[in-house]
Amino acid sequence: MMLLATLVQTMSCLVCVAYVYAKSPAFKPWRPGQLPHNKLVLVGMFGFFTALSIAGTYLGPPVHGAIANTRAIGAVLAGLIGGPRFGVAVGLASGLHRWSLGGFTALACGISTTVEALIGGLVHRAAVRSNAPERVLRPWVVVATTAVAEVVQMAIILLVARPFVDAWTLVAQIAVPMIVANAAGAALFMSIIRDRIQTFDKVGAESAARALRIAERASSVMAKGLAPDVAEEIARIIHDETGVGAVSVTDTRSVLAFVGIGADHHRVGSSIRSESTLRAVAAHEVVFLDGVREVFRCPIHAHCPLSSALIVPLVVDGEVLGTIKLYEPANKAFLRINRTLGEGLSSLFSTLVLRSRYQEQKNLLVMSELKLARAQVNPHFLFNALNTVMAMLPITSQPRALLNHLANFFRKNLKRSNELATIEEELEHVRAYLEIEKARFEDRLSVDLDVDPALLKIKVPSFTLQPLIENAIKHGISEMLGPGRATIRVWRDGDDVRIDVEDNAGTYEEVKRAGGGLGLGLVDRRIRSLGHGASVEIHCLPNEWTRVSVRVPSAEAA
Amino acid sequence: MRALIVDDEIHARRDLERILDLTREFSAVATCGNAIDALSAIQADPPDVLFLDIQMPKVSGFELLSMIDPAHMPHVVFVTAHDEYAVKAFDRDAVDYLLKPVQQERLAAALEKLKRAMHEPPPAYRAPPLERIPCQSGTAIRLIDVAEVELVRCGVAGVFVVTASVELLTDLPLHVLEAKTDLVRCHRQVLVNIRQIAEIHRPEPRTAVLVTRSGKSVPTSRRYYPRLKERLGIVG
Repeated sequence: MMLLATLVQTMSCLVCVAYVYAKSPAFKPWRPGQLPHNKLVLVGMFGFFTALSIAGTYLGPPVHGAIANTRAIGAVLAGLIGGPRFGVAVGLASGLHRWSLGGFTALACGISTTVEALIGGLVHRAAVRSNAPERVLRPWVVVATTAVAEVVQMAIILLVARPFVDAWTLVAQIAVPMIVANAAGAALFMSIIRDRIQTFDKVGAESAARALRIAERASSVMAKGLAPDVAEEIARIIHDETGVGAVSVTDTRSVLAFVGIGADHHRVGSSIRSESTLRAVAAHEVVFLDGVREVFRCPIHAHCPLSSALIVPLVVDGEVLGTIKLYEPANKAFLRINRTLGEGLSSLFSTLVLRSRYQEQKNLLVMSELKLARAQVNPHFLFNALNTVMAMLPITSQPRALLNHLANFFRKNLKRSNELATIEEELEHVRAYLEIEKARFEDRLSVDLDVDPALLKIKVPSFTLQPLIENAIKHGISEMLGPGRATIRVWRDGDDVRIDVEDNAGTYEEVKRAGGGLGLGLVDRRIRSLGHGASVEIHCLPNEWTRVSVRVPSAEAA
Repeated sequence: MRALIVDDEIHARRDLERILDLTREFSAVATCGNAIDALSAIQADPPDVLFLDIQMPKVSGFELLSMIDPAHMPHVVFVTAHDEYAVKAFDRDAVDYLLKPVQQERLAAALEKLKRAMHEPPPAYRAPPLERIPCQSGTAIRLIDVAEVELVRCGVAGVFVVTASVELLTDLPLHVLEAKTDLVRCHRQVLVNIRQIAEIHRPEPRTAVLVTRSGKSVPTSRRYYPRLKERLGIVG
């Protein structure tokens, strides 16, 4: 009975070691059935279990020239955790050590320690083969394995140790206490380790769940892109889910949102002043100020409680859009888990921004398709309607003539291809248009045509002339209080052919200042595409005249 | 009712004139081809109702509203060729708005509204602040940016808008300019642009002489100086 008490004491020491080990930073949760890949860690584990086993030998009380011990705990656990080969290595090391100590059971104990470790290893292998490696962590498996191993040890002592009578006496005395103490010790040891692994699993699962929640909440918000109200929402989500002191979202220049401690002086809309943020933006890298070695110093307020910060740049298509910043105050450590999470946020939000951009593009496409569909008037319907109305009007009436011009204008619009047209065709098109505009403006519009007949067959891109005269009327003459006069001049200027459209409003500068598009971009591009110095130039004398000059090399255009 | 049609397109004017005649509701219908002419016409003989086009040369229909002396303000019916035009922003104030070409039935409905509105004075239109002041420059009309104006003074010949380089006559009365721009009254006959004041001289405790950026002296009177001081942020 005394012996059992002593062994329990010994075992308690070992379990205590297990507790300290599991709590120490050296402990890395591992998957049962897998040994660490890192050689150094493997050697460390070997040393640890061997020392554990040897400690079992030393702490045990001498009994009849032998040692009652808890050596089996280290050996069997090494086998259970590391498999047969790892177990045998530990068992052999510990066994050799026991053998070196001498006594009549020295050999028997040396052999049995190795065999015990092997038994642990075989249980490990069986568990792995049946695809349930986590079974080796179960207390009852450990109890049974250790008990069996101890029984085997007793048998080996009886078989190997001589004289047999002494061995028998010894075994009769130590068998029960050793089986009980070793089995209980190994099981306790293993359950401590199992608890730690489960804690790690739980923390991991929780943070994964948190990351998923952030992703889910953010993706519904981010559909709108990175606008200030979206930024505010995102900062709030991250703040809620991580529980850090404060969160801010910035673009590359200013703070878009700030939630949490220090919101009183970290104002939305203020420009970024922290150097670390600028560093994160410039270098596209995560900046971490742990609050100890590198302290976050608030650039705005000297008594700002925030002291540690994680600054994560948002990179989309190789371009930094802004940053997400997580802060903790001086009295709270920046959790490693939040750091990992924060870094993960970068790629999450980058993906979300990309998605919202894609969505936007898709919407634009749908919009333009709709616009196109709306713009398509059935030409048969249009011409039939115009013909019907014209037929109802007296043959010589002005309205009938006007409708005829309108029909001609539309017909030419539809007929003309995207290719080149002669200046003559361009003038025809423009005449129909001008007849309608002259009727509309009556006394306020007059148009002079000054065309060199020799140039009528010169070819220019179609739809060149009409947009020019339309601009002169729409942005020029219609904005005049007095009478407006437009001039179209087609003439030879050295080797070039010039088409000048001039109005007497001189409003070009004004329209340009007001950001009004003149719609000349397309004309300009098509003329330039002719090459050989073909160009469109605009000259303007404010309040006097605006002149658009198209220059086409005659050799090219002819 | 007496109506004024303001539209820059002659056919639209004639058309609406004919259609108004057909209703026999109007004792007189006048027409103007632009906002500047309309402004003089309204000042000379304020109509009861204005049929107002929005897009017109130089001065839009909206701008015209901000130039009309509130005392002469008629009821307004907008007439426009484009239904997407920003008339909607005004439709709480305007009696109605009509799409060109005006249809008889639609006009009849507008006239019903108009008859009811006639019992009350026209609302204060939420016209935008006046940014340009129409001035006579020889035979032409020039629009002077309010920001460029140093002062406006009332003389025997009329109201003069004074900038660093020119001095032009305008048809707008002083009180309209005071109400519709941020020019500030500093004397019974003078408005001054606060942003153009360069110096303030104090010959007497209760008045001052202002000097504009281009060096023009502007008198102030005892009656208006205290308010001006407030605007300038001068204490004491």
